[in-house]
Amino acid sequence: MSYLEEDLKRTLRRIEPSAGFAERVLERANAPAPPEPSWWESLGVLLRPPCVQWVALSLVISFMIPAAGVYRKERQTRAEGERAKQQLMFAVRVAGNKVHRVQQRVLEMGRMDTRI
Amino acid sequence: MRARVRASVVGGTAIRIEEDPEQAAQGEIPAFADIVREHQGMVFGLAYHFLHDRGLAEELAQEVFLELYRQLERIESPAHLVFWLRKVASRRCIDQIRRRSFWPKLRLDEVPEPATKTDGRDPMLSRALARLVASLPEKPRMVVILRYQEDLAPAEIAQVLGMPVATVKSHLQRSLDMLRDKLARAVGEIAI
Repeated sequence: MSYLEEDLKRTLRRIEPSAGFAERVLERANAPAPPEPSWWESLGVLLRPPCVQWVALSLVISFMIPAAGVYRKERQTRAEGERAKQQLMFAVRVAGNKVHRVQQRVLEMGRMDTRI
Repeated sequence: MRARVRASVVGGTAIRIEEDPEQAAQGEIPAFADIVREHQGMVFGLAYHFLHDRGLAEELAQEVFLELYRQLERIESPAHLVFWLRKVASRRCIDQIRRRSFWPKLRLDEVPEPATKTDGRDPMLSRALARLVASLPEKPRMVVILRYQEDLAPAEIAQVLGMPVATVKSHLQRSLDMLRDKLARAVGEIAI
């Protein structure tokens, strides 16, 4: 056995706990076991302060997740609508310009006919 | 009401366990108390060397004995009792550290003084060694404690911790190498 192992043996010896340890264990061992909670007491656990917070938080989260989904879907639909509207306006503007040009051409041709 | 169990140590070699509600009122306390007194040094020592906190070690040791009290009917022999206590104490120590992953790293000045006398050994070396053992990862730390506090062979440690013997040997070897290196650096010119 090396010196290190001998030192470890000396350092890691068994240690007695403070006086009265066995008595403290026996006191705990003989303490009456807590009665089994009835079903309404188990339910009441949910209403105790830390649990109420968790229940409220989980309710809020379970409401917020679908709400966020609906909101996102609505925004997406609205954006698509806006895009379609812009495209339609552009198409109408282009068509309007063309109609205007054709109209002018027709008018010019009409004037030329009357001169002849 | 829970069934009362009476346990007694007979001649230091056998345990008699009887379910006897009538005699329990008189008989169970001294018998179980004898078991606690006989093994408290082992269980508390394991917890203290592992956790380096007297309060936590006491709490953990008490819980181990309370679990023993509940499981006393399953104990078959004194050897089984010692094995059971080592196994439960080791697992509870490792669980305790894992539950408290935020556990602060020990500094040299935070390592508490041992309650036992130093019997002439170098207290500085002991403190440094205790600190270094406390800095080992959980399983190697428990392997080292079981090896040197309980003087167990690798095969016995493997049984207690439920791991292969080769793993125990490798934990031991690596821990000793690490301790040797770190101790040489921490203490300086010490012949190791």
